[in-house]
Amino acid sequence: MSFSQLLVESITWFVFCYFIALNVGYLALNGFALRSLRRKGQEMFMAELPRAYSGLEPPVSILVPAYNEEASIAASIRSMLQLSYAEFEIVVINDGSTDATLEVLTREFALLPFPEAYRRQIATREVRQVYRSTRYPNVRVIDKVNGGKADSLNAGINVSRYPLFCGVDADSILQRDSLSKVTEPFLRDPTVVAAGGTVRVANGCQVSGGFLTKVGLPHNPLALFQVVEYLRAFLFGRLGWSSMNGMLIISGAFGVFRKDAVVLAGGYRVDTIGEDMELVVRMHRLLRARKQPYRIEFVPDPVCWTEAPEDLRTLRNQRIRWQRGLAESLTANWGLMFSRNGGVPGWVAFPFMLLFEWLGPLVELGGYAFMVFAFFTGMISWQAFGAFLFVAVGLGILLSASGLLLEEMSFHIYPRGKQLATLGAVVILENFGYRQLNAWWRMIGLWRWALQREATWGTMQRRGTVKDAPPPPPGATRPD
Amino acid sequence: MALIQSPDTFVVIAVWTGAIALMATLLLALQIILLRIELRRHQRRDADVVARWRPLLNAVIIGETPALPTLQAHERIHFLRLWVHLQGSLRGDATEALNAMARALGVDELARRMLARAPRDERLLAALVLGHLRDRAAWERLLPLAQAPDSALSLTALWALVRVDPDAAAEFLTPLFVERDDWALSHVAGILQQAAVPTAMVLGRILPGLANERLPRALRIAEALRVPLPGPVLAGALASSSVQVVVAGLRNVLTPETIVDVRALLDHPDWQVRVQAARALGRIGSRDDAPRLTRLLGDPQWWVRYRAAQALRELPALSRLDFEAVRASLTDRFALDMLDQVLAEGDIA
Repeated sequence: MSFSQLLVESITWFVFCYFIALNVGYLALNGFALRSLRRKGQEMFMAELPRAYSGLEPPVSILVPAYNEEASIAASIRSMLQLSYAEFEIVVINDGSTDATLEVLTREFALLPFPEAYRRQIATREVRQVYRSTRYPNVRVIDKVNGGKADSLNAGINVSRYPLFCGVDADSILQRDSLSKVTEPFLRDPTVVAAGGTVRVANGCQVSGGFLTKVGLPHNPLALFQVVEYLRAFLFGRLGWSSMNGMLIISGAFGVFRKDAVVLAGGYRVDTIGEDMELVVRMHRLLRARKQPYRIEFVPDPVCWTEAPEDLRTLRNQRIRWQRGLAESLTANWGLMFSRNGGVPGWVAFPFMLLFEWLGPLVELGGYAFMVFAFFTGMISWQAFGAFLFVAVGLGILLSASGLLLEEMSFHIYPRGKQLATLGAVVILENFGYRQLNAWWRMIGLWRWALQREATWGTMQRRGTVKDAPPPPPGATRPD
Repeated sequence: MALIQSPDTFVVIAVWTGAIALMATLLLALQIILLRIELRRHQRRDADVVARWRPLLNAVIIGETPALPTLQAHERIHFLRLWVHLQGSLRGDATEALNAMARALGVDELARRMLARAPRDERLLAALVLGHLRDRAAWERLLPLAQAPDSALSLTALWALVRVDPDAAAEFLTPLFVERDDWALSHVAGILQQAAVPTAMVLGRILPGLANERLPRALRIAEALRVPLPGPVLAGALASSSVQVVVAGLRNVLTPETIVDVRALLDHPDWQVRVQAARALGRIGSRDDAPRLTRLLGDPQWWVRYRAAQALRELPALSRLDFEAVRASLTDRFALDMLDQVLAEGDIA
């Protein structure tokens, strides 16, 4: 066998094995998720029963960073005030908005300057003033110099009163019972330091009074693809990792943390795009190093709805940012990988993320490019090329279909047969272009991370596809 | 010439892998369709049961005695869920009327059978039904279930036992509440509200013999039940060498009986103890305690300063003028800021 033959065979086999390993890995996660969901499903009817609070539920501070949210902030806060939970406060952090966000808040919630004895547990940009609502005693607003979302959350942590805090995007639509469900792990197990809930795509849904009243599917194909993507990422990605205590991401759109654990870890990093993932990976690293027993859990049924981008440009920017965030989160916490007490996060989840999420786009796109090149230059036969595509697409469809199965086994949020058929079609179609496009964007993200180009938050173009939904946020959420 | 030709190993393995993936996808699709069909069937049955039984249940709730048809086998689970849901949202005579109706339909017997051998979700439902029915005949079957390792199942059985006989449940199960860390304290406290007095009595009896690591949980349960602990038990907790026990003890201080101990704990080296001591003094202290709390306003810990300021505000017979005097006496900026914050909170409230 000549050198060129050997090289082509080696690369072909490498790409093939990589695709197999990636998909087998995800299918294994699917198995773990299946087990968790089955158990959860048996208890689901109990969640429908009327609930009484005992007063021992840990109170929660809801932190809402806001930058130029004058159009939507009042409606968002009003809907959060209606959340069903024993005791909570809402801390809005106005991160140096240049529009009338603060004026709107002042008017709508009758804010008055408040002599807060500010506790600086984590360093942040200057806090100009703390306000308190005279209408709602559990609403406070921090007005601070612009420093980004992470800096805002840190300021919110400093001001918050309660042992748990819940980071929420200003445009997130929470279900009324989502807070009580996402805090369940903290009640059950005192070692739980963080818990995240499912984020779903709100495009195509109807919203009334800040709550989602009717679930629907979007008409926009890009948003439809993201519906399936989110199902995959949350239902078996996070749930699977959570069952092994190896979950490395809690979405910034909706996650609850034990405050003392976050303060001990140093709060959110302000110099990274993926501050939500970075914090979770860092907590794993530090708690593992300290040999402190802990759990980071995913609760599948507390749902937060978010509007997904519907144009290529916004989606592209979002995916580039996510990939950069992922790269930053992993490289900032190398110490976790294969560390002495790394456990599942250090020995399984971190290497998995590194191999299949961080390097994934490189190998995937490189693999496709190589196979196409090899085919057109006659280095591989059309049979080999066809077989490769058959496997790549077949496994992709299998993965997405398994996400849909989990959804059908548990929550069946999309009740109509037509919706199920649409999702079934999307499961197939997304493998012909959308996934490859995503991989390309993620590769750009990797490239930009490698060049260390300055991190900036892009502006999200919203189409208002969520009827009556609050308009655009400055940032976005990541499903995986 | 192609370097990899069919039929070579790569193509064969790839085609087989793709075919397996395709087959698995088709199976998943079939499973999804079957699940959807089953869901529809379930929803139809549910709707049928609601249509048939809801008017009867409504009639029973308003005190009527309609003629009851036989509960069909295929209706049972749907009916039980509907019945449990109604029970959870009603109070008083209506729940008794629903219980009488359930007994007339043989639901008690059915639930006892389900408890013994049904799948997990049906056993959960059966335990709820028997709890609402206060079914004494189910006691022996519920007891082992309450000790099962499955948290949801055991807590539901526990709830049913407390409903059936609060006194006996407290006697048997209080030691379990203290031991089972997997039972969320808030859930346990919610369940025990109906057996607060007997549970507090049992707790008072077992507390002196409990190991230090179990004491905080036991004291937290007592706190949730809002039942005063016997003086010597509380004094023992406050004198403990364990910070967690002292903190839990201080949370239970509701009367001035232990005020001397509480005052002494204001100087404890652990800030968590000082926080709780300040809070306790706010509940039981007198005007004489103002200087002690004022001193704590200068504590290095934010939470100690905050709770001390709140406690000062809560002390009886302390006027606005007294606060102004306290304020004027302060030289520490942190203490001043905290007092201003807490006074402002009081003004807004």
